Amino acid sequence: MRSKKLKKWYSVLLTSVMVVGLLTGCSFSGKDSDKRADGGEVVIDFGIHVANPKEQEKVTYNIVQAFNEKNKGKYKVEFQAADTESHSKNMKLAASDNTLPEIFWLDASEAPEYDEAGVLLDLSGFLAQNSDVKNALGSMKSAFTDDNGQFGLPYQCNVQGIFYNKELFDKAGVAYPTNETTYEDMLSMIAKFKENGIIPLSIGSKNSGFAMWEFNETLARYGWEENIESILAGDKKFNNKDLVACFEKLKGLADAGAFPENMATIEYFDAKQLFNIGQAAMFGTGQWDCAEFDKNIGNKIGFWWGPIFTDTAYEQKIAMKVPSAPIVVNAKVAEDKAVQEAVFEFLKFYYSKEAAELSYEGSIFPATNYEGMGAADTQYAMNAMLNALASGWKSPSTAPDLTVTSAVQEALYNSLFGVMQKTYTPEEALDLMDDVLKNTK
Amino acid sequence: MYWLSKKRYKIGFLIPTLVVYSVFIILPIIIAVSYSFTRYSGIGKAKFLGLDNYIRLFQDKLFWISLKNTMIIFVLAFVLLLTVAFLIALLLNNRLKAVDASKALIFSPAIIAPIIVGIIWVYILDPNIGILNNILEAFGASEMKQKWIGGEFWSPYSVAIIYFWQQLGYLVTIFIAGLKMIPNDVMEAMRIDGANGFQEVKYVIIPMMKTTISTVAVLVITGVFKIFEIVQQTTGGGPNHLSETLVTYSYSMTFTSSHYGYGMSLATVTFLLSLIITAIYSFLTKEKER
Repeated sequence: MRSKKLKKWYSVLLTSVMVVGLLTGCSFSGKDSDKRADGGEVVIDFGIHVANPKEQEKVTYNIVQAFNEKNKGKYKVEFQAADTESHSKNMKLAASDNTLPEIFWLDASEAPEYDEAGVLLDLSGFLAQNSDVKNALGSMKSAFTDDNGQFGLPYQCNVQGIFYNKELFDKAGVAYPTNETTYEDMLSMIAKFKENGIIPLSIGSKNSGFAMWEFNETLARYGWEENIESILAGDKKFNNKDLVACFEKLKGLADAGAFPENMATIEYFDAKQLFNIGQAAMFGTGQWDCAEFDKNIGNKIGFWWGPIFTDTAYEQKIAMKVPSAPIVVNAKVAEDKAVQEAVFEFLKFYYSKEAAELSYEGSIFPATNYEGMGAADTQYAMNAMLNALASGWKSPSTAPDLTVTSAVQEALYNSLFGVMQKTYTPEEALDLMDDVLKNTK
Repeated sequence: MYWLSKKRYKIGFLIPTLVVYSVFIILPIIIAVSYSFTRYSGIGKAKFLGLDNYIRLFQDKLFWISLKNTMIIFVLAFVLLLTVAFLIALLLNNRLKAVDASKALIFSPAIIAPIIVGIIWVYILDPNIGILNNILEAFGASEMKQKWIGGEFWSPYSVAIIYFWQQLGYLVTIFIAGLKMIPNDVMEAMRIDGANGFQEVKYVIIPMMKTTISTVAVLVITGVFKIFEIVQQTTGGGPNHLSETLVTYSYSMTFTSSHYGYGMSLATVTFLLSLIITAIYSFLTKEKER
C-alpha cells in the first residue's frame, strides 16, 4: 500500500518536473537586471547587424575594443551579433518583451516605428551635454530627429556610388567615367563591355533588394528629395512623369544587357565576387567594401557618382554622402544612472576623434567631420571616393531608399529590380509602390 | 502496474503533452489568426482592420502567383512522388543484386539538410553557372538552355523536381515498410491462382496498402505546403516574387516587408488550404474504402 502511494507521488513529481522543465527550457533566459559584471564594471550590450563583427564590421569592433581597453574595470561593451535579417527580427521580439540591448543598430526605415512605440531614448540630452560630439556630427544627426527628439545617431557616414575596374576599362577600350559622363555615354560603355565579354555592371537580386545603392543617385537626379514628402502625404503619386522617366533609364540599362544574366539567382556577395575577380567592370556599393577592393583590385580601382541625365530639369550634380542607418539607445537605460553613464561614455568615445581615426584606418567614413582626417596611400578605394567627393557635389540629407517606411522601402527595391529584370514595366513598378503606400496608411 | 491504467492517471500522463501541444502549436495558431485581422509592423500596438487583410489578399496578384506556384509544385510532386516512390519500392522489395546499396543511395538525399539541397541544385540549375545549361551547350543544344531557376516560367517546376529528389527516398522507405506488412501467404495464394505481376499489384498490393498510401499522400500534401528552404536557396522567391510559394511569400511579407498582419493572413490561408486538401483527400479515399 505504502509502495503504491510512493509510486503515485513519484509519478506526479516526475510529470510536474517534465512540464516545468519543458516550459522553462523553451522560455527566454531572462535578462540580468544587474548590469555589473564580476569585475565590477558596467556591461552594456551592443546589438549589431552582422554575425561576426570582428570580421564583418572591423572598424566598429576596433572602436569597441579600444573603448573597453581604455575603460577596463569601469565599463565594458559586449556585442549581441546576428546577421541583418535575424538582428531585425531579434530586435522586434526584444522590443515586445522589454529586453532590448542598451545600444543597437537599426535599419533607418524601421527606426521611426521603434521611436513611435516609445522604446528609444531621446539623445538630445546627450548631445546637449557633449557639444563637441554635436558639432562633429553636424547635419548628419538631423536624419534621425522627429517630434519626440533625437531618436538615434548615425552609425557611420555612407558614401555610395559605382566602383569600376580600370584594367577592364582599358581592356575594352572604354574611357573612365567622369562627372560629365551621361546616361547615353553609359549605354555606349555597356555595348563595348558586352563586345569584350565583360559583365558591365554586376548586381544580384536574390535576397539582396537592398543592394541598389548606385541607383540612389539616379532617383535623386529625378527629383526624389523634392517630391517624396508630397508623395508620402498623398498629394502626388510615385507613378509620376519624373519617376517614370527615371525607371525608363533602368529599363534601358536592362535592355542594353548591363546586368549579369543570372542576376535573379545571385546575391549581393556573389555580384561583388564577380567584380573582385575581374569579370565585371563596375559594381555599385559603398565605402564598407573599400578594404576588400584594396585587397582584390588595388590601385586599378576607380569611383564614379553614376551617369547624369539630360531629359530632366532636376539638379544633376548630386553625390551620395549620407548618414547610414542609426544606432539607437534603449529607453530603459534612463532608469539606471550607472548604465546611462556607461552608454553616454561609449557614445562619446564612438563619436570622438580617436574613433574617427580608427574609422579612416579601416576605410570607413565616420559620421563625424573632424579636421585633418585622411586615408593612407594604399587605401586605393577610399582615396578614389575622396577624389570624387572633392568635386564638391551636394548630397541629399538622406539616401532616397531611407526616406520611406520599411514596407514602402521593400516595394521600392522590388520595383527597381522588377524593372531591371523586365518583370515590370516602369509604370507597373511605380503602381506597386503606390499600392503598398496606400496599404500602409 | 495496475494502478497506471486508471483514467485519472492516464490524464495525468497526457497533461505534459497536452500542455506542450497547446502552448507551442494551438496557441501560436490562435495568435497568428488573431494578428491576421490587424495591421502590425512588429513594433508597438497592432491596429484592428477587420477583414481588410483578407480582402487585400484576394486582390493581390502576387498571392495568386504564389498560390499557382504552390499548386504546380503540389500536383507535380503528388503525382511523381506517389507513383515513382511506389514503383521503386516495388522494385526494391524484390531480391535483386545490390538492393541494399540502392536503398541507401535513394534514401541519401533525405538526410541532407534542405538548405544544402538548395545549394546543390543551384549549381545544377543556375542559368549561368549551372551544369545543366553547360551540358546542353556542350552537346550543341544551346537553344534548349533555359532559366531553370530565376526566370518567370520554370522556377516552380524546378522546385517540384528538387522536392521530388529530396523526398523520394524517404517515401520509398515508407512504401517498402508497407510492402513488408503484406502477409506472404496472401501473395503466394495469388501466384498459385495464376495472377501476373500487374494483377498482384492491382488486386492485392494496392488494396492492402491503402493506409500506407494515405499516409504518404498526407505527408506529401502537408510537405508541399511547407517547402521553404529550397525556394529561399535557389531563387529567394525571385525574380520579383514570381517564384514564391505561399509559405515563402508569407515569410517575405511578414519579416522582410514588416507586414506582420498581412503575412499572418497569408499563413492562415495556407494553413486552411492544406487542411482542406488533406480533408478532401481523406474523404475521397474513405469513400472508396466503403
